[in-house]
Amino acid sequence: MARVHQVLAIISLCALGLTACAKTDEPGAAQSPGQQQGAVRVGISLPLTGDFSEPGKGIQEGYQVWADRVNAKGGLLGRKVELLFRDDASDPNRVSSDYESLITQDKVDLVFGPFSSRLVIPAAKVAESYDMVFVEPAGAAAEVFEQGFTRLFYAAPAIADDHYNYLADYLVKLPADQRPKTAAYASLDDPFAQGTAYGLRDRLAAAGIETVVDEVYPPETTDFAPIAAKIAAANPDLVVGGTQFEDAVGLVRALQELKVQPKLAAFSTGPTLPEFPEAVTGAAEHIVSPVGWSATADLPGNQEMVARYKEMFGGEPNEDAANGYTVGQIIEAAVAAVRCADPSKACQDKLTQHIRQATFQTVVGPLSFDDQGRPEQAHMIQQYVNGKIEIVLPEQAETADLVYPKRAW
Amino acid sequence: MNLILQGLALGVLTGGLYALLASGLSLYFGVMRVVMVAHPAFLFLAAYLTYTVHTAFGVDPFLALPVTVPVFFALGVAVQRLLVARLAPDNLAMMSVLLTFGIALTIEGLLGTFYTGSYRSISMEYATRSLTVGGVSLPYDRIIAFAVAALTLGVLFAVLVKSRFGRALRATIQHPEAARLVGIPTGRVAGYGFGVGLATAAVGGTVLALITPFFPASHWVWIGKLMAIIVVGGLGSVVGAALAAVLLGVVEGLVLVTVDATWATMMFYVFLFLTLLARPQGFFGGRLAHRF
Repeated sequence: MARVHQVLAIISLCALGLTACAKTDEPGAAQSPGQQQGAVRVGISLPLTGDFSEPGKGIQEGYQVWADRVNAKGGLLGRKVELLFRDDASDPNRVSSDYESLITQDKVDLVFGPFSSRLVIPAAKVAESYDMVFVEPAGAAAEVFEQGFTRLFYAAPAIADDHYNYLADYLVKLPADQRPKTAAYASLDDPFAQGTAYGLRDRLAAAGIETVVDEVYPPETTDFAPIAAKIAAANPDLVVGGTQFEDAVGLVRALQELKVQPKLAAFSTGPTLPEFPEAVTGAAEHIVSPVGWSATADLPGNQEMVARYKEMFGGEPNEDAANGYTVGQIIEAAVAAVRCADPSKACQDKLTQHIRQATFQTVVGPLSFDDQGRPEQAHMIQQYVNGKIEIVLPEQAETADLVYPKRAW
Repeated sequence: MNLILQGLALGVLTGGLYALLASGLSLYFGVMRVVMVAHPAFLFLAAYLTYTVHTAFGVDPFLALPVTVPVFFALGVAVQRLLVARLAPDNLAMMSVLLTFGIALTIEGLLGTFYTGSYRSISMEYATRSLTVGGVSLPYDRIIAFAVAALTLGVLFAVLVKSRFGRALRATIQHPEAARLVGIPTGRVAGYGFGVGLATAAVGGTVLALITPFFPASHWVWIGKLMAIIVVGGLGSVVGAALAAVLLGVVEGLVLVTVDATWATMMFYVFLFLTLLARPQGFFGGRLAHRF
């Protein structure tokens, strides 16, 4: 029996070896860089099923809208753009092997990133090892930028810690008699959600706004009433939730039930989703959130993207789609500037160098990056005003004035 | 002090909800030693059906119950007769985990297909207000959940103790061979027992829908909690599960207000470990499922 296994193992190894050889003999693979013809092939693995399937699909649509627009006006350097999607099922192991095979087997010219920090890190490791530039639409956690990646860029306005910067500036500048004195923080145990809440907490604490509650809850939490009870006991001027959707709704409802009436309530993601106002019936009014993109903002290419999205998929694009589109815009500008789009180290080096020093005009605003690939801008702040989402900060993008203190909920 | 009272009150109310959600699980285990991993998935299936009835007809979510309870009862009988009853009896507990895990995934997939992955929620006017008694706020939605749980468990208990079906079911639980000898059609009774278990899921799902927003994968976080409850309560004991649910609800609430949420969530597993170490048959049940 053991012998049979051994023989089988040897045979399969040989077979593997043969396929590997066969692959390198494919016509075109040995062409020298810069002379490739045909489409610019972009390899992308996305969580199209599993935990992140909703945002994964949003990003995919953003990529598709971008490719469609580029192809409509003649492609990149005159070559059509072709997107190769893989589904990694939200699995960090699958995402590595996906990029591995996209780069080595499919020999893609460029790679775009997947969704969420958990998948971005393993994916970026593969891209780095093949010297591919790696622009990603959703990996804002601090860890992403602490791995020593040299070719990773996060195509959104800010990392998690900076999401609330405009709000912090606003609150710190308020006259002393209006300024909130105490603040309560409740955050999901998740690097991104915590990052947003703690970024604001640290700024406000430094300005003398006292932290009276600082709670962290695990993702399995289903009951938010006791957390709200703690916040109620401290009666803070400001309530900040480092939240995703379910917990944002759970906290808002529990705070209402326990009659906590802060002067301002801020929740990270959650209020930015279209399902939110209905889930909290009427309590959404005056809740603020950081938001990376707005459909109404007057930014280069934004209206064109919204229109094209409607045409292709119907409905409004969401922030994920916008982030996907932004990745495309950055690569498009970099390719146009360095005049190459192939997987050779020389070309990828040029792209990386260009992205590191340039500023890009995108649908989420002008973007530039630091040495670890962190974007250097901040998120806008949105608020529900008269039932509508308005951009209230910063001043140059605002569509309405920030309402403070908020109405009781 | 007030905070502790508040935590205690919320804990009791939440415990009532847990008792309702876990009652079906202890029935399945009691009846047939079936570990029903899909129970929370059925809870959310019920939540989605309630959502559909609520949005399509604009009626109060509880009016969905006359539809969902019979449907779930029938579904339960079908699942038991067509699937669970065919598992090899000598390895039933293990195989039932695999089978019901598959059912849970199927339900999740179907919910994703029909309702998409977006969040759904039912928010009623009364679900955001609360009753204040001596400085302690009692949210109306929790009071409703507690009342519904008490009512459902009361009915369930009455059925098990008073009715002929209840006696047959208890006989099947206590000693299937002996029950067969005295002429109880244990196969059919087990099917009905499963149906009753799923019928509690229909009620539990409606209450859940009122309290929390949900999406197709919401059921995973409940499996561990509910399993811990029925083990602490004594596998197969409906009353034990109810007491354990309230106990764990209170412990969770108190730890949450005095320590933090991470420890509160861990309490379920701490109690699970303690139970398995000190009293594997559970704190409230007798020898496996011999009492109600």
